[in-house]
Amino acid sequence: MSISKKLIAGAIVSGLLATTGVLPAEARPKNLARAVAQPDWLEQNIDNPKVRIIEVSTEPGIYERGHIKNSIKLVWHTDLVDTVNRDIISQAKFTALVQKAGIDEDTTVVLYGDKNNWFAAWGAWIFNIYGQKDVRVLDGGRVKWEKDGRALTTAVPTFKAGNFVAKAADKNLRATLTRDVLPVAKKDSKATLIDIRSADEYSGKIFAPAGFQELAVRAGHIPGAINVPWGLNVNSDGTFKTVAELKKLYADKGVTGAGQIITYCRIGERSSLTWFVLSEILGFTRVKNYDGSWTEYGNSVGAPISNPAGTIWGSL
Amino acid sequence: MVIAALLATAFILSSNLENSTAPISLLIGMSLGLLLERGRFCFFCIFRDGIEDKNTTPFLSVLVAIAVGSIGYTIIFGQFLPDTSTDRLPPVAHIGPVSWVLAVSAFTFGIGMALSGACISGHLYRLGQGYLRAIPSLIGTLIGFALAFLTWNWLYLNAISDAPTIWLPHYVGYSGALLLTLGALLLIAIFAIKKGTNSDPIRSAPSAAISVSATLKNLITQRWSPISTGAIVGLVGTFAYLRVEPLGVTRQLSTSARTFMDGNQIGADTLFGLDKLAGCVAVLTETITNNGWLVIGIVGTSFAAALAGGRFKFSKLTLTNSSTALVGGVLLGWGSMTSLGCTIGVLLSGTQAFALSGWLFFAFVFLGSYVGIKLKFHTTG
Repeated sequence: MSISKKLIAGAIVSGLLATTGVLPAEARPKNLARAVAQPDWLEQNIDNPKVRIIEVSTEPGIYERGHIKNSIKLVWHTDLVDTVNRDIISQAKFTALVQKAGIDEDTTVVLYGDKNNWFAAWGAWIFNIYGQKDVRVLDGGRVKWEKDGRALTTAVPTFKAGNFVAKAADKNLRATLTRDVLPVAKKDSKATLIDIRSADEYSGKIFAPAGFQELAVRAGHIPGAINVPWGLNVNSDGTFKTVAELKKLYADKGVTGAGQIITYCRIGERSSLTWFVLSEILGFTRVKNYDGSWTEYGNSVGAPISNPAGTIWGSL
Repeated sequence: MVIAALLATAFILSSNLENSTAPISLLIGMSLGLLLERGRFCFFCIFRDGIEDKNTTPFLSVLVAIAVGSIGYTIIFGQFLPDTSTDRLPPVAHIGPVSWVLAVSAFTFGIGMALSGACISGHLYRLGQGYLRAIPSLIGTLIGFALAFLTWNWLYLNAISDAPTIWLPHYVGYSGALLLTLGALLLIAIFAIKKGTNSDPIRSAPSAAISVSATLKNLITQRWSPISTGAIVGLVGTFAYLRVEPLGVTRQLSTSARTFMDGNQIGADTLFGLDKLAGCVAVLTETITNNGWLVIGIVGTSFAAALAGGRFKFSKLTLTNSSTALVGGVLLGWGSMTSLGCTIGVLLSGTQAFALSGWLFFAFVFLGSYVGIKLKFHTTG
């Protein structure tokens, strides 16, 4: 069969498949959770006024040199956090920020970013805390989009102000040291703590990942926490694993969605990715992200830790 | 053949998706190598022509490069950062803090240029021409970086951390900044032209008929005119900022020095504030950065251009001229690391980006070379 004949045959087959709605297994978006936006879907909805695309990357200049069409930029460390109070952005400021981005109550918000979507997931967590109803994260983030050879542009869009008004911060999504984490560590209340850092950080062998400053005087983890490194949530290309795979991953660790779950890492950004997986992809109803994470807990006076590596204060 | 090898490398790099800007950096470096070599875009030679021989025409290439680059930067800035009234600065542009430290380090750099015979980019392209003094100079530069890392924390705490970062568009907008820059360049150009007596012809007479051999001769054998060289350098700077980062040649060298010191636990663990500043800032990495590819492109293409044009010649290396080159190199290294860049990274990329730091560096590096030339430092080579 010549090449052109193969092409025609292929076109006929795919045409038939399209009309019947049956797609070959590999062409089907492998992750069917609504909260995960597939690149193909986003490409089709790129000009949809009801979809607002937001890039949350941390490498300076990466958005400016090219971003997904119609996407705007949010800066994690200035737009989404209150640096003076070490807190998330306030309700009023969030409303102003989001309205300026042209986001309405019924807008579908799609976030993506560099570094495995860590900060995009943080953004998704904030949007959920303030009550946006349809928040999605682009599967594979910026890296996958680029690897697929999809288009980028340098044009910056502007939008008519939106009408979204932030609701009161949802306390069910955010864990704090005194209210949620310490009672669990001291066994006064019950919750599954998930430490998503590397095994060496968890055991206390190292104080911070290579290339990062040590920000906690103690190494180790919160007593009772289980270790599920964030990287297990994704495939090598940065896309999320399938719902079935994720369900099994957590079920094997005893996490089935029953009871309260609290995720944490070093500063709370990688753990927002695991929060996203558990809460938005697997649909577990009681998942909190502890954004104080190890940099707060590990430094806190009177907070017990577990340190199997025996480096409680480091080597003195 | 060298060009072909470099192009092949760029092609191989382009299929490596881990670092998508490496091939662009290599190509930018190649353009720059060609420009520096063919246009003799060597800051020290340009300064010396003006100061010693009163030949100020080559100096115009620097001014044209800044003028063209600042127009290019204006176009990019307008899109990267439409609102100049906030405290935000355009991403990764070389806009540095302005303090007495910058004046001292730029002056030191100027003296180093006179002693070693070129600035860092000058040494890189002249290495491709067989200028052997570039080798002790670049070794000295690495030592200078190491010294600068040792003095950095003190300078940072005592001066740089409180120094203002002055970006002209923040005060007068893009059009105001561009007008100011072009006006300043025009004044300097008029001054330079009036002072100059022995100016080169801006261009040679065009050949009677266009022919392949005449074109090749113009391109490869004859020196490019200062005006076109400057204009293309400005364009290359614009493209570099658009696609990768502002032009600069010291990041890879200082990164290597910093990584070596870190690996051998020499000096302080932490360089305060360095990673938050904009410029040719050393990072800790074992791999070749984009800037490394740029440097490889400069040296390789300069070699190819020099060879093709019959200008490749090993220079004589003596104990005296290599030791002055080494000492000059140390000053270049200390000066550029402390200034967060050199004549390319701070002078060109800074002034093009409307940073006051770029202009301050320009003034003091010129002053340093002037003093060095008047003290006959350059004749020790």
